This record gives sequence, structure tokens and C-alpha cells, in this order.
Amino acid sequence: MNEVTYIGEQIGWQYAGNSFVFLSFVAALLASFSFYRSANDNELADGPWKKLGRIAFTIHSFAVIGIMTTMFCMIFKHLYQYHYVWEYSNDAMPRRYTLACFWGGQEGSFLLWTFWNVVIGNVLMRTAKNWEPPVMTTISLVQVFLASMLLGFHVSGLTIGSNPFILLRETPGFLNAPLFNTPDYASKLAKTAQGLNPLLQNYWMTIHPPTLFLGFASTVVPFAYAIAGLWKKKYGEWQLDALPWTFFGIMILGTGILMGGAWAYESLSFGGFWAWDPVENASLIPWLTFVGAGHVMIVYKARKNSAMSTFIFPIITFVLVLYSTFLTRSGILGNTSVHAFTDLGMSGQLLIYLLFFIVLAIALIIINWKKIPRDVAEEELWSREFWMFLGSLVLLMACVQIVVTTSIPVTSKLAGYLHDKLPFMKDAFEKLSKQAPPIDRIGFYNKWQIPFAILVLLILSFGLFFKFKNTDMKQLWKQIMLPFIVSVVLCSISVLLLKETNGFYIALLFMGWFAVCANFYYWMKNKKAVFLKAGASFAHVGFGLIMMGALISTSKKQIISVNTSRKSVRSIDESFSDATNIRMDQGDTLRMGDYYVTYAGKQKVGKNILYAIEYLSKDVDTKKYSLQFTLHPIIQLNPQMGNVAEPSTKHFYDKDIYTHITYADPNSLKEENPGQQYTLARNNTLGIDDKMYSSRDTITLIGLDSHIDLKKYNLKDGDIAVGAILSITDSSHAAYKAEPIYVISGNQVEAIDDTVVKAGLKFSFTKIDPQNHKVDISIAEAKQVARDYIVMEAMIFPYINVLWLGCLIMILGTTLAIRQRIIKSREALKKENAGNETQA
Amino acid sequence: MKKIHIIALLVIAVAFGVILASLSNNSSYASFKEATDHPRNTYHVVGKLDRAKAFEYDPHVNANLFTFYLVDKDGTERKVLLGKPKPDDFEKSDQIVVIGKATGNDEFVAADVLMKCPSKYTADSIPGQKQSSL
Repeated sequence: MNEVTYIGEQIGWQYAGNSFVFLSFVAALLASFSFYRSANDNELADGPWKKLGRIAFTIHSFAVIGIMTTMFCMIFKHLYQYHYVWEYSNDAMPRRYTLACFWGGQEGSFLLWTFWNVVIGNVLMRTAKNWEPPVMTTISLVQVFLASMLLGFHVSGLTIGSNPFILLRETPGFLNAPLFNTPDYASKLAKTAQGLNPLLQNYWMTIHPPTLFLGFASTVVPFAYAIAGLWKKKYGEWQLDALPWTFFGIMILGTGILMGGAWAYESLSFGGFWAWDPVENASLIPWLTFVGAGHVMIVYKARKNSAMSTFIFPIITFVLVLYSTFLTRSGILGNTSVHAFTDLGMSGQLLIYLLFFIVLAIALIIINWKKIPRDVAEEELWSREFWMFLGSLVLLMACVQIVVTTSIPVTSKLAGYLHDKLPFMKDAFEKLSKQAPPIDRIGFYNKWQIPFAILVLLILSFGLFFKFKNTDMKQLWKQIMLPFIVSVVLCSISVLLLKETNGFYIALLFMGWFAVCANFYYWMKNKKAVFLKAGASFAHVGFGLIMMGALISTSKKQIISVNTSRKSVRSIDESFSDATNIRMDQGDTLRMGDYYVTYAGKQKVGKNILYAIEYLSKDVDTKKYSLQFTLHPIIQLNPQMGNVAEPSTKHFYDKDIYTHITYADPNSLKEENPGQQYTLARNNTLGIDDKMYSSRDTITLIGLDSHIDLKKYNLKDGDIAVGAILSITDSSHAAYKAEPIYVISGNQVEAIDDTVVKAGLKFSFTKIDPQNHKVDISIAEAKQVARDYIVMEAMIFPYINVLWLGCLIMILGTTLAIRQRIIKSREALKKENAGNETQA
Repeated sequence: MKKIHIIALLVIAVAFGVILASLSNNSSYASFKEATDHPRNTYHVVGKLDRAKAFEYDPHVNANLFTFYLVDKDGTERKVLLGKPKPDDFEKSDQIVVIGKATGNDEFVAADVLMKCPSKYTADSIPGQKQSSL
């Protein structure tokens, strides 16, 4: 190989970045070992191992911040010689997306996760007291694994991590690019830099990933506590400390998932807020078991009965987070998801991490199986703990269904492998290996999840009315009667209004109302409507509203852009629908639902083309249109990655009208408003009331106008000007007016043309023949007779605001619950201290 | 028997039911030939675009119909009728999955299409392609 001395490469960042990566890995390793020794030796308050562990974790923290700062600077300084910067940013991108570029790639998003774990670890080092060494052992161990994701070593076929500080010329696939024979190549990369995927150039991209990853990161806390409890054989003391963290995680992860839904709804073209895409599912599954974990921990804290489930749920949750990471980042979802990451060659590494924590957790549970406290006496049927436990199990079952279906690419791959290796059960494995994800994905998941949702809502409607230990059922029925009757009434009204006929939907709708009414009533009656005690009730009310909003807006979604063109696709196949996309020529007005819709035109703003879609209403009597509102769906032009369409939505309190461009005239995208070309002018000699014709329109000479405002046309005082008043009518009976002018200025004859853009016509008044009372008017037609068009989709989502309202209430409720949990765990600590003092 | 045991049995039963039912959704990957042999079943067919033949999408005729030719893994080629507008950057897609049924006259009617665009949604890409952009 010929050696080239490169000019203008800034290698320093690579050295700094790699040093930080290495340091963060080694420090995490040291921290986990030190905390392990400290916990294993049962060190007293300030033992040497614990001190060392803290120092190591602090160094690790600084190293992680160092990595992030280095990467941030590289992106900010546009150092395109680095692959990560070249891949995820470019000069054209606004500065506000620098953060989004940072976590646009796999390495950056792992770093985001690592960073949140650092934050959590630092809080725990200050608050976890006696639990610090064993809990920090697990957290440091997780950090070892996460830090190794950035190492970028290649050991005998296995890739250990993907390094974000690799130069473009060192990146596999770019090694032999001829550009790298030029010494000053670094200055020539700005042109080709890829830039962030246009889908991600969005404000959601700056807030959604940090929230979601904080949610993912927080699952490590109850997991680490559970592992610590098993390891130190203190089975029943950790739940109280882990509870505020668990509810914090439930709140943050829930918010992150809902933000993803809102993002998809607002600016991606999914046509809804939840599409059951494997990547969406991957974020939902740990949340379901996380909610289960929070509830079984409350049960244990209140009753000190069986501790088993308080170990199982947090462990499953954390394992599912790892599994989700594996699913979305190993490339295994390749054919089934539109937005999974592709393989960076780390699937082996991810699998090892997953298996490591599964084996560790299972081994610890088996070792401690006999000793984990269990309830001697059986739980009462009518006790709160029993129903909370049951609710958690239903969530787990719902989660199993999603996991199994989302994992079809995994199971089919595994079955294919077993089919090749095993001599028996060939047929079964072959069948499994050809398994494809469900055809009607959304319908399939909805069908399965609605019964689970009904059960969960049923349990959480009654839930709070049950008392721990045992409940006087007569009392309970009496209490629940009023909210029950109110829900029946409200449900009946809404069923009638929505004309709902599906039994399952009606059941879900009723359970939604019941959950809202019952929990609200509980708060009013039992908590005396004290705002700070609203935690559980509000979270449940919010969940009920989310389910109702999701149900109504999805099942009553109405597509109004019905195809009216001559050829119907339903004649080709019954599965095809004409009621989806519709072509609209510029200027056309078509009826859609209660509206008349016009494609008025488009405008280029930066890299976006804004389409103006006008929604009009028609007055019954006067038959006149009046503009109600205008929507501006966007097509973002991106020559490097392809154009991206962004919908536009009009929000009303009771419905949303969603408009999305599914296809745009490619010719009109390329040219930026070219100078209009006209055909050669055709002359017509006309008298008053005579008609002439263009290829589409009829033009009538109405009369001549001698009162021309000379100043308006920059004419001199002595000039003589005559206008020809023309009326143009096209096939759809739209009428336009035109007035070309004939001017005699001294000896010169001049014509002032008039152009009617909408009709694509240009008129010229060229001659007056006073003897025969005739005039000559020439017509030129716009060359591009075919008008600009779009293919669009318009739909109505009724009552989707119920969903968003539910989200806000649930987040508020969970936040109040966290506050309550922190207060309770502080009170317990005080009591414990007081107890210790009296004992002493 | 304790309540907890009854619940445990129920949970196991439900879990098994859920797993079996989820896995026995009648959709599977197949070749065009298999799809033609079973014209009533809906299949996923993985293939590559035949770039030699033109795609057809004329919104002036029908905005919901896009046709193209796809060659499956066995090398069988079929005309595919997709009941949707032409997806953005269809030309750039590398691998395509069509979901639908075969018809009698050697056509495949697809209700949906999944594209694996090398560059669109993903961080990575075909190395050669990006390199050539330098």
C-alpha cells in the first residue's frame, strides 16, 4: 500500500475519545470488582473496597462524560473525517439537531443509555446506604458491558463493540476509496456527508430518545436491588428502597413510549399513533412487566407475604430491556420492521450479555429458591393483594403475547438452524422456519390485546376499593354501585353516538368508562379529593382514558379520501381499497367527508415543499365555498436519503383531520418553478359577444373598455389605451376574467398581455379594425397542459384527544405516586432509626 | 389445592394457548411457485426487483395501483399488483417483501410491501454504494 501523508486531519479527537472509551471500560471493571469485594466482605460503613469502588465509578462517570463531550465537539466542528460525523451530520443541518445527530446512530444511543446509568449510579452512591455495595456491583457490571459496546475490538471473528471515533478512511467498506489517496481529503468530505435521516430531523428526536433511554436505564435499579437481595440473602428489605425508583421508571418509560406514539402520529406517515411495529413493541414489553413489578412490590411492602414475585418481575423487566435491545439492534428484524437498526456485527455480543444476565438471575433464584419467604396462610380472595397480583399476571400474559409474535423472526431463524442440525422433527422445524409475521399486523395484535385490556381495566376499576388482607364485600358493592351505574349510562350514550356494534369494543369501552368513574369516585370519596393523594387513582383514570381514546380513534377512524377516478382497484382484488389515496390536480375541488378539499398549490421553503390543502365548506343555499382551514403537509427533499413525507393535522376538540401526501408529481419536484413556456400565439378576429376556444376553455369577448388607468400600466398621459374584456369558462364551469390592452403611444402600437395562470392562458390584444367592429386577440396556452398533481390520503381520527388527555393524567398520577412512595420510604427509615435508638 | 396453584395452572394454560395461537397465524414465507399452487392463501414473498422491466404507476388512471416485476429467491418472476401508491424511493430498495396472493394469470396481488432500503431508515448501508458517493 502506498503511504499518504494526510493534511488537515484532526487525529487528536480520536486519541482523546479512545482514551476515554478505554478508561470508562477499565474503571467500570474496577468499580464492579471493588463493590463486589465490599459487599462480599460485608464491609462496614467506610471500608477501603467501597471507597475504591466509589473512586472507580466516579472516574468511569468522568470518562463517559469525556466520550460524550469529544463526540459532541466532533459533530459540532463538522469533522467529517470521522465516520460517525460523516454518517449522521452535514453542513446543511440546523445546529439544533446536533444533539439528535449525537444519538442518531447505534453507538450514540448506547452512550445515552450508559450516561443515564452513570447518573443513576451516582444518585445511588449517595442514597442507597447499606445497599450501596451490592447494588452498585450490578450497576457497574452493566456499565462494563455497555462501555465495551464502544471498544471496537475484533477478536477471532467476534466484534467487541463499535467505535464511534473511527476515521472514515478506516471504516470497512471505505478502505479503498480513491479519495483517500489525496492528502487533503479531509476538506473534501463536507459535500458527501450523509446527514441525519430526514425522518429524524424533528424536535421529537431531541426529546424522545433521552426519555426512552432514561426509562430503559431505570429498570436496572429494581433489578440490581433484587439481585442484591438474593445475593446478600436479605429477601424482604430492599423492596421499600426500590419502589420509588420503580415508579420513577414506569413514569419515564411510559412517557417515552407515548412520546414515540405522538411522534409517529404527528410527523411520521404511519397513519396512526401505534402501528404495533416490532420496534414499538420492543419498548412496550418491558413497560408492561415494569408496571407489574411496581404493583407486586407494593403488595409485598404492605403485607410482607410472598416475596417471590418481587424478584421475578424486576428480573423479567430488565431481561426484556436487554432482549429488546437485541431485537432492535441485531438486524434480526430486518424484513419485518421499517425502522430497526441494521446489524453492526454486534449481535453475538448482545446475545452474550443477554444470556449472562439471564443465567446470573436464574442461578441466584434457584440457589435461594427454598429460602425466599412465602406466605404460609393463603391470601383471601377478596383482598387487594390478591387482585393486584392477578392484575400483574394479566399484564405479564399480555406481554407474553407481544413477545412471542414480535419474536417470529427470531424463532423462525432458530427453527431453521435446528432443522439443519437436528435429525428429528424436521417437518415441524421447517414449518416454523417459514413462519412470517401476521399479515394484518394491527388487526392481529388488537384482537389479542383487547381481551387483556378488558381484564386489566376490570381489575383496576375494583382494585383500590379492595382492602389489604380482607374486604367487606357488602361495603364494596355499596361503594362501587354509583360509579357502576354512571359508567353504564355513559357507555350506553357513547355506544349510541358512535354506532358501535362490535361486542368486544363495547366491552372495552364500558371497562374504560368504569375504570375512569370508579377511580375518580375513589379519589373523591376515600381520599377526600386531596390532590397529593391522587397518585394511584389518577394513574388508573389516565390508563382508562388512554384505552378509550385508542379504541375510539382507531376503530372509528374514517378515511375520507375516497377514490373517484374511473378505474376501481376493487375490481382487481377484493383486498384492495379505493378509499385510501386520491389524486388531486392543482385547483381541483373534491368532496371528502363533510368537506370540499382543494389542492391550492405548493411552496418551497428551504428543503421542504409545503403543499396547501384547503378544506372548504359549501353553503347549501348559495352554493358558495368558504375556506374552513388549510393544512400544509410537507415533502422533505433529501437527495442523499430520499424524500420524506410529513403529514399535517388539524386538531379539533373532538376529532383530528389528518392529511398526508403519499405521492407527488416527480416532475414538479425536480424543477423549481420554471419560467412558464407558452405555445405560439394563435390569432382570432372577434366581434363583441363572439366566442373563441382554447384546448379546454371557451372565451367570450364581452366588450371593450376605454377607461384604462394609464398610471397603473406606466403609460404617458397622451397615450390611448383600450382593453378587451374577456370571460373564460372551463369545462368545470369555473370562470375567469382577462383584460389584455391595446395601446397607441405616439406612432407606436403596443400590446399589454394578460395572463391567467390558473387557466394556463395568455392573451394579447393586437389589432383594432374600427370599420368592421372587429378586434384581433391572440391566445397562447401554457405548454405544461398537464397540471401539477398530488396523491393524498385524508382521514379523521375521532376523539383522539381523549387518548392524549389520558396520557397526561396517567403521567401526573404516576408522578404523584412517586412522591408518595418517597415520603413513605423516608417515614419508614425514620421509624427504623427511632426503633434502633430505643433499642440502644 | 390452593388458589395460587389454580392460578398458576391457569396462567400456564393461557400462556401456552397464547404462544400456540400466536405462532399458528397462517402466514408464512413462500416462493411465487408455492403461492401459485395455493391461490387462496396469503403469503410473504421475498424477492428482488426486476429493474429491466418498467414499473407502472399512473395516478391519472388510478392512484391506488402500482405494478412492478419481482424475481423471488428461486428465480421465478411475477408481475406484482400493489394496491397502494408507489412508495418513495422504490427504485433504491434492495430487497422487497410482498404480502399477498397469487392469481390465476401469473400475477401476484399484494396488499402490502416492505422494502429494505439500504439507506433510508438505517444507519448502515451497502458499503460499495456509499463509497461511490465519496
